Amino acid sequence: MAESKLDLLQGTLDLMVLQTLATMGSLHGYGIARRIEQVSGDHILLNQGTIYASLVRMQQRGWISADWGISSNNRKAKFYSITKKGRKHLSDDTAYWQRLSGVMGRVLAMQDEGGDQ
Amino acid sequence: MIDLLRQSFERLRSIFRSPQLDSDLEAELASHLELAIEENIQHGMPVGEARRQALIRFGGTEQTRLLHREARALPALDMLLHDLRYAVRGLFKNPGFTIAAVLTLALGIAVNATMFSLVSAFLLRRPPVRDPERVAVVSSVNPAPAFHADASSVSAPNYLGWREANQVFEDMAAADEYRTVSLTAQNHSAAAAQPEALRSAAVSPNYFSVLGVTPQLGRPFEAGEDQPGRDHVVILSYELWDRRFAADRSLIGRTLRLNRENYTVIGVMPESFRLLGFTSQLWTPLVLTATDQTAAARKDRSLHLFARLKADATVERARAEFVTLARRAAENFPEAERGWGATVRTLPDFLVYDFEIRNALTIMMTTVAFVLMIACANVAGLLLARAAGRRKELAIRIALGAGRLRVILQLLTEGLLIALLGGAAGLLLSYWGIQFVRASLTFNEAISAVPMSLDRNVLLFAFAVSLTCALLCGLAPALNASRTDVNTNLKDEGRASSPSRSHSRLRTVMVTGQIALASFLLIGTGLLFRGIFLVEQQNLGFRADHLLTASVTLDVARYKDAPQKTLFVRDLLAQLQHIPGAETVAVASDLPATGPGSAAFRIKDQLESPTDQPLTALDVVVSRDYFQTAGIPLLRGRTFTENDNATAPSVAVVNQEFVHRHLRDQDPLGKQIRLDVSDAKSNWTEIVGVVSNVKTHSEDAREDPEIYEPFLQRPVPSLFLMVRASSDPDSLASALRGAVAQVDTELPLASVMAMPALIERQKGGDTFFVRVLGSFALLALVLAAIGIYGLVAYSVGQRTHEIGIRIALGARNPDVLRMVLREGLKMAAIGAAVGLALALPLPKVFDSMFYGFHPREPRLYFIVPAAMLAVAILATYIPARRASTVDPMIALRNN
Repeated sequence: MAESKLDLLQGTLDLMVLQTLATMGSLHGYGIARRIEQVSGDHILLNQGTIYASLVRMQQRGWISADWGISSNNRKAKFYSITKKGRKHLSDDTAYWQRLSGVMGRVLAMQDEGGDQ
Repeated sequence: MIDLLRQSFERLRSIFRSPQLDSDLEAELASHLELAIEENIQHGMPVGEARRQALIRFGGTEQTRLLHREARALPALDMLLHDLRYAVRGLFKNPGFTIAAVLTLALGIAVNATMFSLVSAFLLRRPPVRDPERVAVVSSVNPAPAFHADASSVSAPNYLGWREANQVFEDMAAADEYRTVSLTAQNHSAAAAQPEALRSAAVSPNYFSVLGVTPQLGRPFEAGEDQPGRDHVVILSYELWDRRFAADRSLIGRTLRLNRENYTVIGVMPESFRLLGFTSQLWTPLVLTATDQTAAARKDRSLHLFARLKADATVERARAEFVTLARRAAENFPEAERGWGATVRTLPDFLVYDFEIRNALTIMMTTVAFVLMIACANVAGLLLARAAGRRKELAIRIALGAGRLRVILQLLTEGLLIALLGGAAGLLLSYWGIQFVRASLTFNEAISAVPMSLDRNVLLFAFAVSLTCALLCGLAPALNASRTDVNTNLKDEGRASSPSRSHSRLRTVMVTGQIALASFLLIGTGLLFRGIFLVEQQNLGFRADHLLTASVTLDVARYKDAPQKTLFVRDLLAQLQHIPGAETVAVASDLPATGPGSAAFRIKDQLESPTDQPLTALDVVVSRDYFQTAGIPLLRGRTFTENDNATAPSVAVVNQEFVHRHLRDQDPLGKQIRLDVSDAKSNWTEIVGVVSNVKTHSEDAREDPEIYEPFLQRPVPSLFLMVRASSDPDSLASALRGAVAQVDTELPLASVMAMPALIERQKGGDTFFVRVLGSFALLALVLAAIGIYGLVAYSVGQRTHEIGIRIALGARNPDVLRMVLREGLKMAAIGAAVGLALALPLPKVFDSMFYGFHPREPRLYFIVPAAMLAVAILATYIPARRASTVDPMIALRNN
């Protein structure tokens, strides 16, 4: 791999998990981790284990709920789904991230122009 | 915000569900790995490789568990629990240390909790009335220097005038709180039931409604029941109802015989209705007639005024208004009111002030606080010594990555644990302490009536004190230990020649501080001891031995006019004189040395003092043989005779102090004075004799100017009987009762008591106070001695190696002994000097706190430091002796 993988910024993992659950519906921990890896095109350095800390934190905040169920290949697994409160938080946070990345893009572009003088 | 709360709650909850959550997580992780392995196998990996890859992608199960736990729970609380477990293990491993530390703190906390139970009982308990802060008490301010001059009672004309004129009170009630009535048995068949003297209060009908209390049985007084004819109704206290009438509910509506008249019982107050110093056993309506509104009635100040503030009024405003009202009264009635003022306090403030216990409690609380500080310093010293022994352990923990904060917290937790254990043990001790104090505090009705217990205030206080102790004890060692230098401590094999400098300096400062505090306490207590001892030993100015006393109050029903009173006294004295063993007998308005009331007066042909301050003197009415009976020597002139009667010219006898202060030592005989009291005749009174001084109170050293008037010329209704006995005065008690019954069967005798016992009772508070303070000071001394011993023994232990070298190099035993002793003595000397300096202003402080009590004892300033040095030498000698006998070979090898 030529490029090194991206470290996760604080708070981004929560947002990714929420977005995944919002689009995919109910999913178990492994499924969430795989989904994030796939969507990011394996650009993200993710220890799959770290999402469990994120999951329990969001569960305590009431953004997601969890239930034991049976996976597609007949295994017992804990399934997470997003709550109404989680959706609200997701939309707030999405707007924030989009604004931030827009601003970051513009700022960095400006530096490029003046950089060679 | 709600989210945060919810999350905190979930986190807290998760701590207690930890095992379940852990197993839940285990199952989830297992399922995760299985899913991953399965997918990898589907992609064609061999089983072993599939598992390996899954684990790599997962990234460490142990970290995951840790992260999970941290995310879901409160790491801080987790840490605390962990620290606590660790601390408990540490304390169990070292029981000697633990017991010493816990016991020391327990003692400190126990004395604090016990004394605080007094504060809680006397100062913090809210009076059992509605909205006590909105009830105001109006007092007169006496311009003459008198005890509690600014809390004097108020005259009836002022009550009536102020009730109309004020703008700040919704309603105002008056009470004559200190009356005595006699209760005679209802069924005359029960001959055993003697007439009983009861403390009663005469109150205006709105008294209970102003206070906002209602009887538990029956009804309060109604408007109009203060009119003559309707006023024969009575409300009983719970105590009287329960004791004398066996809590009989049918008593309401029945008739009692009070002061020879029939009163209908209309109510019984609840048991909780008790206003600190006011200990009435029954209440009757206060009847104010036309004579109570004359100018002469202005000098009879006997009412306490209670009022409820209007919704928009404050006590400050009320105070300002009453200053104005009093000034107006002084302008309108200069003869009676000149110089008199008025003030307003809230009911709780007034009761505490009037009860005069705050100063004693302040001293006791200060003392126990010092004892606690000394105890804390001892425990901190123990912890420091222990921490020194654990330097290596701490260094290792810091080297392994424990943060300094973490180490500090760990050590503070240890302090907290010791303090809480000490607090619990202290509360247990204070349970007995409170029982002891309760049993000792019985020297008057008001004190006995106040319930004391380990109430909520005391528990909270003990808890707060424990936490403070935890901080005080734990902080020094914690900060000290957190400065641990990892390198030196790991390298040094515990062979350090002497302990680190900062370490020993801290301990030295603490021990010096302890000695300073203990010296201060000893001097303070010594001063109080000395002062009270002087009072105990003082010559009261009369002979208290072989004197039997009792009191009677002549009721208006039978003894309305002067001739009836003089007749009664004549018959009574004759009867008393017939008691076998009675030498001389007398009656008086006050017993000697029991703080008689004072009165203003003028001296004929002497320029009036230009100030507002009238001349005052103690004023006592006595029968003919009073001076002989009390054993007060006559110095000049004569005492009273049978001829000094109502028709003869007015005469008076004064004491030496009167001659000295008011007549500037001129010849007093023949001088004319006029007393300014409500029932005095308006003519001039001639001074016919001078007697020697008697102390104003048996419990302090004051001698005030005093005027004696003959009973025949001013027959007062409230009398004390005195019988000088040739044998044990108590043996005459029943004969005394018999003699009174011979004259009047329905007249109750109160407090039949030998004079020495009565004086003892007056001083009861002092004795208790001194005994308690003395034991606290001793406790402080012992704790400080232990502190010195502990420090020196410890530092000698640390220096064994160094001492071994010194001895090996030729130091002789006495040199070593001297060296170690010097260390202890230096601390004691500095500490004692600081304590001495702090104690210098104490006599002044006590003067301002206690009226008429001036403890001075210069010798204390030598005795106490000497005692401290002696204790320091003792505490240092044992370890010093041990050090000097160190065998250099062992010391050098020993490690």
